[in-house]
Amino acid sequence: MKKLTALLIAALFVLAAFTGCGGGGKSTDNADRVLNMYTSSALTSADWQTTTLTSDMQILWVQVFEGLYGMDESKGGYINLLAKDVDVSDDGLVYTVTLVDANFQNGDPLTAEDVVFSYEKAMENARFNYVTSFINSIVAQDEKTVVFTLDYPYSAIAHTFWTVKVYSKREYEEIVASGKEFGIEGHTAATGPYIITGFDQSTVTLEANEDYWQGAPDIKHVKYTVISDAAAQVVAFENGELDYFPNVPNSDWENVKAKAGDNCEMVTANDVKVMFINYLSPTNDGILGNPLVREAIMYAVNKDHCIKAGLAGYGMPAFEYMYHGYVATSPNYEDGTFKTYDYDPDKAHQCLIDAGFTEEEIAAGIYVGTIMTYGNNTTILGKMTVAVQGDLAEVGLIADVDVQDYSVIGPKMYAQEYDIALFGDSGNFDFNNIRQQVHSESVGMYLVRYKDPASPFDWERIEALVDQGVATSDTADRYKVYTELWAIIADTATIYPIAHSGYGIAWSENITIDGLCPSYYHIDSFHWAN
Amino acid sequence: MIRYVAKRVLFLIPTILGVIFIIFAVMNLTPSNPALAILGPGTPAEDIEAYNHELGYDRPFLEKYVTYVRDMVFHQDFGKSYITRKNVFDEIWPRYKITIKLALSGVILSALIGVPLGIRAAVKQYTLWDTIPSLVAFLLAAVPSFVMGLVLMFIFCLKLKILPSYGADTIKHFIMPALAISLPSSAQNFRFTKSSMLEAIRQDYVRTARAKGVPERQVIWKHVLKNALLPVITQIGLSLGVLIAGSVVTEKIFSIPGVGSLIVDRINYSDEPIIIAGTILIAICFTLVMLTVDVLYAFIDPRIRAKYTKKN
Repeated sequence: MKKLTALLIAALFVLAAFTGCGGGGKSTDNADRVLNMYTSSALTSADWQTTTLTSDMQILWVQVFEGLYGMDESKGGYINLLAKDVDVSDDGLVYTVTLVDANFQNGDPLTAEDVVFSYEKAMENARFNYVTSFINSIVAQDEKTVVFTLDYPYSAIAHTFWTVKVYSKREYEEIVASGKEFGIEGHTAATGPYIITGFDQSTVTLEANEDYWQGAPDIKHVKYTVISDAAAQVVAFENGELDYFPNVPNSDWENVKAKAGDNCEMVTANDVKVMFINYLSPTNDGILGNPLVREAIMYAVNKDHCIKAGLAGYGMPAFEYMYHGYVATSPNYEDGTFKTYDYDPDKAHQCLIDAGFTEEEIAAGIYVGTIMTYGNNTTILGKMTVAVQGDLAEVGLIADVDVQDYSVIGPKMYAQEYDIALFGDSGNFDFNNIRQQVHSESVGMYLVRYKDPASPFDWERIEALVDQGVATSDTADRYKVYTELWAIIADTATIYPIAHSGYGIAWSENITIDGLCPSYYHIDSFHWAN
Repeated sequence: MIRYVAKRVLFLIPTILGVIFIIFAVMNLTPSNPALAILGPGTPAEDIEAYNHELGYDRPFLEKYVTYVRDMVFHQDFGKSYITRKNVFDEIWPRYKITIKLALSGVILSALIGVPLGIRAAVKQYTLWDTIPSLVAFLLAAVPSFVMGLVLMFIFCLKLKILPSYGADTIKHFIMPALAISLPSSAQNFRFTKSSMLEAIRQDYVRTARAKGVPERQVIWKHVLKNALLPVITQIGLSLGVLIAGSVVTEKIFSIPGVGSLIVDRINYSDEPIIIAGTILIAICFTLVMLTVDVLYAFIDPRIRAKYTKKN
């Protein structure tokens, strides 16, 4: 027994030797303090062009690189960044951009040549076709002036100015000339407030750019740790190991809120969870080709059920594809200008009767195909899919559920090989992005083929409105165009927005934040709270 | 003895080649599209096709397999990651070392907990030394390591606030993960050791030793334990392999940058070179552990030594 007691005491001593950690240690000197952040997956490159994940973009697109425009939802969306002034010709075809006096992190001054070089790089990359295809030429008029000439008027150019980031031409070319691929290592070829000093499979480190053209950031050192498990992220925050916690899992919001006190806020995300119905599907003799059946499906889906199931109750029913609070030109359902198919099982039932189904057939169940989504049964869309299946069953519509990895489901959706699909879209800041979903020339996210020999829809009007919207510069006029466009889409009963997610943000007592942004936070707006 | 080891080592070659073939076949049968995963939705089909071609993803199965084995054997080249374009071995090796460190600490801990308690329980059968650890072992064996991980996090991070919840920088970062993987495994070791000891205790040679008046301590250590140890060693060796291959969940929970979590992350991108090389390295490690177990057998079991000595 004595031996056992001695062993226990020894074990306690060993444990005590390891203790004294857990929280982020507080240093008295702010210059030495490290801001502890998490990222959900390892950064694979320090080149902004190679990023596809939002978590990577939150680091590279905002903290490290800058474009002509920035994105700050707390300041109303797009903001001028490297573009001091933008002058548009009367015909909307020529944009003359004057640059700010900024330096790259390597000390070189920002010049028009750097901007031209960066846009040319982006235009070579197929991924950025959707924001550059309308550009005819880019010319450096002088050291600080860039002239963009467009093929046709394109008022959504702000999204391009935000998306394309500016490289230091000299450093980029030097790295490539040395036989290395740009972005494999840290660099100083950007103008942003933070320099990426290192990244590997588990961490990313940033150091403040002391010569940042808008003033050196208050927080000098930032360390991101890869924490992919949501439960582990919550524990790390509650244990005091994280200073900023974006995208708090909705199911843990109450716990995090209890820990963070006043230092947290639930905002609406700039996203949408949306249901698509493939009217061309051959399933059950093309049942989804019947507009009344599609309407029945829409009336049957209870958005609140979906929000409860997928978002733990933290979300907002969606009626338009883009949340009008973030996208000024987005149609607003409060205006009552388009059909919203509010949850109404009786109407759903009536639609089925009007479609020619008997009460007996409805009671026996009418098969409408498979509800498809990507992810797994525990992801937001996975859970929503099951909720939709349940809602449909309530009105006598039978559907299967197919939830698989994106690499399997994505191509099927893009090839319109589905019946009903649940899809998530995010980061839309201009309603012109709807082009991807409704214009036949768009590639990939054109989930409903409005332009088809069998199409009963006025697809020519749809595409004309898309083109008209982007060619209109006045915001109020664009709003009218897009409202008409969305009303037509709503009448087709093929795209049904379900919800905008609630987006929880929490931060430690160590910091204060100037403005909260659900999509892209700005660490240079964080300060030590002393 | 050398012949025995050499034979085992030679047997590794077809095993590893077979493993590589199976991994390649599985990857080939799995529907994936790395270019789509990398370039993202909205990319034109021809660009996706061109990128897949650039990556070498669209080459025939056998060509990929033969080239891979040749490069691996003759140039120690596992290829380049589709995502980072970095050398695969350079990416995997640092993480592999972390996984091995974690698995080894888990195995050592589980052996240190499970084996002595198992011996004690067998020697003191039907006493509290037997019943209490047996009950605890039943419980621990039923708890998956990720649940154990979350429970440990709750206790040591949220309540006691004495251990960090993520990372692999210092030894204290390894305490909880090692405990999480070792506790269920130590329960297995306990039960295995106990049953193996009980079986040995009932053997005639033990009764003979006791009849001869050999002190009880000596009977246990020399006659019982030595004979009961063989299956226990196999069990510990197997658990090391299982922990290396299966530590991914623990790595995810504690955000440890190990090879398991790397493979899982890259599956989302269809990053074949990483997935294949990571799996091969795990398989090689597993077979090496089994080889070590076989060699240990030969050292412990005089019958194996004798078999090869006679032939010489």
